[in-house]
Parts: sequence; C-alpha cells; structure tokens
Amino acid sequence: MTLRSTKHAFGTVAKVFHWGMALLVISVFSIGWYMDFLPLGMEKLEWISRHKSLGVTVLALVTLRVIWRLSEPTPQELGTLKIERMAAKAGHLGLYLLMFAMPLTGWTMSSAANFPVSVFGLFTLPNLVSANQELFETLRTVHWLLSWGIAGLVGVHFLAALKHHFRDRDATLRRMLPGTIKEN
Amino acid sequence: MFQINGKMLSVLAIATTLAGFSGGALGADKWVVNSDESAITFSATQLGAAFDGAFEAFSADIHFSPDDLAGSSVEVLIDIASVNTGNGDRDSQIVSPDWFDATQWPTAKFATKSFSQIAPGKYEAVADLTIRDVTREVSLPFDLEIDGNAADATGAVTINRTDFGVGQGQWTDTSQVSDPVTIKIEITAGRP
Repeated sequence: MTLRSTKHAFGTVAKVFHWGMALLVISVFSIGWYMDFLPLGMEKLEWISRHKSLGVTVLALVTLRVIWRLSEPTPQELGTLKIERMAAKAGHLGLYLLMFAMPLTGWTMSSAANFPVSVFGLFTLPNLVSANQELFETLRTVHWLLSWGIAGLVGVHFLAALKHHFRDRDATLRRMLPGTIKEN
Repeated sequence: MFQINGKMLSVLAIATTLAGFSGGALGADKWVVNSDESAITFSATQLGAAFDGAFEAFSADIHFSPDDLAGSSVEVLIDIASVNTGNGDRDSQIVSPDWFDATQWPTAKFATKSFSQIAPGKYEAVADLTIRDVTREVSLPFDLEIDGNAADATGAVTINRTDFGVGQGQWTDTSQVSDPVTIKIEITAGRP
C-alpha cells in the first residue's frame, strides 16, 4: 500500500481523505438538521458551535485534498460506457464544489448575521461581509438548498458504488477500501 | 422667643458653605452631546467569537470641568430597545425577559459619583451602573480631549453580564455566551 495513488489504485492519503471527510460531512449535515429543530437555548448554541467548527474543518480538509489530488494521478473511472464515466466525473466534481460551497456559504451567512465563526474556540475567522439581514436570509436559503444538493449527490455516489460492486462486479468500491487489491 | 446664639451661627455657616459647594457643582461646565458623532458600543462573545453591537439611543447630562472634578457629574440614560447587533433575531432576544427585559426595565443608567485624574488627558469615573434592577459600581477610565468648546471622550469598561442578571435561567451558564462584556463609549460634546 502506497501513500500516493496510481492510474489504477487509490493511495492511502486519498483513502483517508475520502473516508474521513465522508464521516465529517455526514456529521456536519446531521448536526445542521438537528440544531435547526432545537428551540433557542444553550443546547442549540452548543450544536451550532460544533456545526461551524466542523464545517470549517471540512473547508480546510477539502482544500488540502484538492491540492493533494492534483499532485498525484487519479485512478480511471471503471464504467464501460463513456456517458457513465462522464457522469462519474461530473458527480465527483459536484461533490468537490459542494464541499467548498457549503462551508463558504455558511461562513458568509454567519458574517452577514454578525455571528462570527469561532473554530473550536481556538480562533475566530474574520467576517467576510458586514452585517446584512437580507443577505443573511438569502444565504441561509442557499445554504439550505445546497445541503439538499450534497445529500442528493452523496446518495447517488453511494448507490453508484453499490451498482459497480454488485452489478458490474468491478473494483470501484473495493479499491477505495483499506488494503491492496490485485485486479482492477 | 427667637434668638440667634453662637451654635446657630455655626450651623448657619456650615449650611452656607455647603450651599456654596453645591453651587460649585452646578458651576462645572455643561456639555451637550453631539449624537451623530457619539456612540455607546459593546463587544460580547458568543459561541467563542466576539461580536459588536451598539445602543443607538441614549441621552447624557454632562457637567464637567477638568479643574472642578468634585463638581463634575455625568448621567447617561441608555435606551435598551435601541440595541443593534446587526442581527434582528439576536436584538429581539436581547430585549426579551431572559436578558435585559426591556419592557420592565427600558433604560440602563450610568451615574457618576466621582472623577479623578490619572494622567494628563486621562481620567477615571467611578459610577453607579444600573442595568435591570441591579446597581453596581464601575470604574470607567477615559481619555478626554478638550479643544475650545469641543470635547472628545473615549473609554471602555468591562463588566460581567451575570452581575446584572443579564442572562436568566439557562443563560446564567457562560459557556456559550461569555460573561465579560466590554462597553465602549465615544462621546463628542460641545459647550454651548
């Protein structure tokens, strides 16, 4: 098992990014929905804190991940149809864009609400825009719509992985799991 | 029979002297606040991140002379409902019963008890600050620049919100909304 990916296999770093961020994104998403339903109170604020801190973590990690990805070969998609491989590319690009867009809209909406973002209480991010109620409400809607977008894409991603594994019986899912596989 | 004796004379003398002093208090210069160029702002911490806000409506009764600190006094009334933190939801929380309860206590009051000079152009006011139904003594150091009939004063004091009952019930917990709040004043006033 190597750190770097090859044309045919994912390296350890790519796998760790993939599964680590999968867990993180699902957590941030779940917290986001949960905190929205809580009545205003200490508990809500605590969960908002965690949501923001973890969201900023996603932003930092996805930045590193993209840099890493661009610096190494990316294994080829395994679909037999060209359109299938194109769809996979588009889906992955969408996931990357959303991993940037979610935290960025969250950070901007916090700024517009004059609710600066503290990262685990360690440091505070600068406000990206000045307080603006209208902008805040727009961004809140955008953030909410994008959350559906990422939920939808993650769902498709998950189903596609299962389809490759159980129907096409190719290595798409297995090559993202820990360990080395022989065939591809 | 009404007779003036020595004892009564001395009482009269003290009374006159006291009257003289209080006349001196009124003698400190009166200043009128230029509200466009003055602000009472604050900085508080929520979810670990500092945010700023302002009380946009306040009135001040200022009598101040650097050479008559004993006769100087400042009383500021702050309209709690004029709070602006750039977030409507938060502003409506601030005035709610759990926080300032502006319906019951619509104004906060800052009334000085004494002034002292710390350094040239630097003073300290000891004052009673009343928020909700709690009055506590605070010390506000401030810089003062008097140029002819115009004056600029800037100062800041940090208080603990829970000392004043700002944040009731679950909000007495300071882990998400911190206890210290820094109040900043920036007053521009003129001598009419």
